[in-house]
Amino acid sequence: MVSLATLKRTAEEGLRYLRRQKDIQEAEVFVASNAGLTARVNYTSHIPCNGVEEPKSTSSHGLGVRAVFQDPKGPRTGLGSEAGDLSLNGVKAALEKARRSAVQDPDFTTLPCPSPERRTLTKYHDPSAMDLKDADLVHAGWRVLTRALDEFAKAGSLRALAKTGPKLREMGFIVGGDVTVLLERMAIGSTRLPKVQTDESTLIASFVTAMVEREGAKGTGYGCHTRLSAMRGDAGAEAARNALSAVGGVRIKDGEYAVILGPQPVTELMSNLILPSLTVASFYDCSSAFHGQLGRQVAHDDLTIYDHGALPGHMGSKGITCEGLPTGRTDLIKNGKLVGLLSSFYETERMMRDHASKEKLGVPPEDCPEALVPRNGFRFAGGGGRRFDMAPSVAPTNVFIEGREKKTREDLLQQVPNGVYIGRIWYTYPINGLRTGDFTATVVGDSYMIKDGKLTAPIKANVVRINDNIHQVLRNIVGITSKSRGTIIWAADEVVYAPEIAVARLRLTEIAGFMDAH
Amino acid sequence: MPTIPKVITTDLVEAIKNTVVELTAEAPDTYKLCRYADLRIEVTEEKHAGSENGTSKYASEDSQFACGIRVLAGDGAIAPGYFGQVLGKADLPRLAQTLASGLQHAYQRAVLNAREKIRIRDKYKDLGAALSDTRLASVEVHRDTVKAEYAIDPRRVCLDDMVRYVTEVSRAVQDVDEQLKYNAVSAVTLVTRELFTSSEGACIDQSFALTTGTAYVVAVSETGDQELSDAIGHQRGWEVVTEGVVEEHIRNLDLLTFSTNLARDAVKLAHAPPLRSSDKDVVVITDPHFNALLAHEIIGHPTELDRALKMETAYAGRSWLLRALNDTMVGKAVASPLVSAYSDPSLPGFGHYKYDHEGTPGRKVVHIEKGLFKGFMNNRQTAAILNVPPNGSCMATEAHLVPLVRMSTTVFAAGARAPEDIIREVDKGYYVVGHRIPSIAESRENFRISAQKVYEIRNGQIGQLYRGGGIMADTKTFLMKVDAMGRDFRLFPIPNCGKGQPMQGRRLGNGGPTIRSRAHLTGPA
Repeated sequence: MVSLATLKRTAEEGLRYLRRQKDIQEAEVFVASNAGLTARVNYTSHIPCNGVEEPKSTSSHGLGVRAVFQDPKGPRTGLGSEAGDLSLNGVKAALEKARRSAVQDPDFTTLPCPSPERRTLTKYHDPSAMDLKDADLVHAGWRVLTRALDEFAKAGSLRALAKTGPKLREMGFIVGGDVTVLLERMAIGSTRLPKVQTDESTLIASFVTAMVEREGAKGTGYGCHTRLSAMRGDAGAEAARNALSAVGGVRIKDGEYAVILGPQPVTELMSNLILPSLTVASFYDCSSAFHGQLGRQVAHDDLTIYDHGALPGHMGSKGITCEGLPTGRTDLIKNGKLVGLLSSFYETERMMRDHASKEKLGVPPEDCPEALVPRNGFRFAGGGGRRFDMAPSVAPTNVFIEGREKKTREDLLQQVPNGVYIGRIWYTYPINGLRTGDFTATVVGDSYMIKDGKLTAPIKANVVRINDNIHQVLRNIVGITSKSRGTIIWAADEVVYAPEIAVARLRLTEIAGFMDAH
Repeated sequence: MPTIPKVITTDLVEAIKNTVVELTAEAPDTYKLCRYADLRIEVTEEKHAGSENGTSKYASEDSQFACGIRVLAGDGAIAPGYFGQVLGKADLPRLAQTLASGLQHAYQRAVLNAREKIRIRDKYKDLGAALSDTRLASVEVHRDTVKAEYAIDPRRVCLDDMVRYVTEVSRAVQDVDEQLKYNAVSAVTLVTRELFTSSEGACIDQSFALTTGTAYVVAVSETGDQELSDAIGHQRGWEVVTEGVVEEHIRNLDLLTFSTNLARDAVKLAHAPPLRSSDKDVVVITDPHFNALLAHEIIGHPTELDRALKMETAYAGRSWLLRALNDTMVGKAVASPLVSAYSDPSLPGFGHYKYDHEGTPGRKVVHIEKGLFKGFMNNRQTAAILNVPPNGSCMATEAHLVPLVRMSTTVFAAGARAPEDIIREVDKGYYVVGHRIPSIAESRENFRISAQKVYEIRNGQIGQLYRGGGIMADTKTFLMKVDAMGRDFRLFPIPNCGKGQPMQGRRLGNGGPTIRSRAHLTGPA
């Protein structure tokens, strides 16, 4: 990783150089150093394997220049970048690329201008994670695996099965997943901002899936941390315990069921359906499921959702955006009413000037400026890193979901005394486009029948498909727990602090019956 | 030794080739416990342009340069270690040192990994027995150069011309109908040059051209709305976008015609009634474009051997075609005898290559032959586990990422029937046209895929158009019920397929002919 001081110096020198260029109206230099270290785990008791399959890393550093060039036909904006070169030559090379690629974008107004809000989050990263050694990476992967193997090895129920049937390893134990450490440092300077600013963040995440494959039993374990010392391999143990609990799974018939959605399914719905519909960009391009509904009731009045990127100790926190603006809290849905949207500076400016903005939002934008504050302009790459070679787009940070009442899982089980607990879903897509709200997914593990207010028989992995609509899910909420869990899904950048949510009706379809005879 | 260029161009590969070859060849001597090493270098020269609603939005012209290293090492056990890095112009003067440092990291990780493997294997006895040495199935060592194919060199395309073209296309889309509320049109053209070297002596210098265009439209009528997006593309030059491509199996329209057609479809669909879901199987005829995604999801993915061996359990999923090494579907009926399916990197399009990213020549892999399951795509490591020959199916999206088993061009084989006849024989059924969005069960045993358009078929005639439709079925059931395969075999680009951790989004090819089977219809919820 390149030091923060070097990144800052590059941004300062670069900005001085850019200010001197005669054809430049305004300019910004964004300098970043990113690393992703991953120990990918693959253990299969019945197939030869490596245990830790991929101890690996990928890293990059470089700078990007965004500039507005004077032109008789109107200003032209361009972005150029240079990898691996943080010298003034790198800035010059990036500027030339920006100049060559500049276009006239009628929606562009200015580069991001200072916000009236102030930065509140500094020095929140874990310095020890920045110095992670090869040995630390390899051992982190093996630690997760051994915690899972410990659970399998001591499981009495399996030992009993193994005495009369196949050997323990022939039960088909699978432990897959990873420990990933993301390291991000950046500096940004702009002719529109008063000074060069810096930010550095770390995220340590572990996501593990375990199976007793012969029994069709799957369990998940995960943990997200901001401190390396907190990573003790618990995700492996949790996944194995959950897989063991899922032995003896049953099928369920087609129908509408009352359900409790666990944190992972709630995160899937958030990251794939709800959050993409809560950006100013999705309202601009008419793809949002909430098109034209700002200020209106879009969910049960128990539901509140907000994004907050400036909370210390939370995994998705950042001190500043990749536009150099302070992060902070953006209320999205409050007591079921749509009250705000995630935005970048460009998207807010564009929406404020769009002649169709009233139709798109549902209210004139000048009537709701607090709903469009640009606190979420990031240069994320999908799964980590603040990229120097791309323009900012809109991304969530930490997303919080809350109910009005402080409920426990037991409270929800009283509200849904007979139904289905869904603990993990997969491949959740807006099957007919985001705007319609239709979605589908399959239930892949950690799920149980609910009978008389108790979790009873586990549901077999991969035997149920959900076919429903997100608007109906949001309207049919009957309870939300106060306890939530930080959850990241595959290839997402945001962390959803997801509670368990009870929903009165969800359409479930039984699938893959042929596999039982297979 | 050729002079190292001062800028990052594909010519750089020629200049650094000897350095990279020597570094890799010497790895087993330099590092005591090293059993194998390979090093990949990739340089891409790439141009992009994008527009929205008839106005220009962005453009870029840049180069990417990256390296990826794998080392197998250990004493008492063999384990892998990897290293990847994005490089730049400033790395050129010290490139040999940078690559050597990367090799050192990969080696160190492999050695530490091997030590832990021994320790855990000893600790867990029964459960530890599966922890095995990393072996690579042997392949013939190749030294070869493969040139890119194009009529208009992407490196010579004027960026301003690209911007002008996509803006004109976007404007033409906007002019199609006032009910089109939004459109985005983009194009990419690039040349990539890859170098693969291994401690076994391989040296493969392989170049590709690639050009793609995408369109996204949203139409809103008084009665409904419709979003549609789709892509054209081929491993050729800029002519793919401006002129289109007509080859034996490819009918790639130019971007202007393609985008305006998509816009007209979106408007028609916004006026069409929603499709009602069926509560039982009905006759469905799926067209080649829809079947490209179907082949991708229910043939390509479950026949990737790393999935079948459970290596993607936490991410992209497993495969219903293999439970254990002694419990597979190989040789068993998984489809109607009319169905054959295969992957073939020699087919033209996004999935084409001569060598994979382990230096193995890519070859045709038959997955289903007349209804019987035949085998998987693999890499050298998974081939060694199954004790079968490697078939060259290991690719990474970028050089700094770890290569995975990837489908090349996976297709349903052509049948003998005229597609018109397949439709004409149906008294009551549905014609499912154009793929849209997939959702597949974890081991690929069930799928729901939405279509761009669904038409009713009555008495052999295509009738009413519906929006929001698609089909859902169990994979094996759908394949077993196939009763007609068309002769209209076509190939299509699939612009983004995710796999691995961190997720790698890769461009691939897929295809097939018209197919008739039975499935549940799915409509808006």
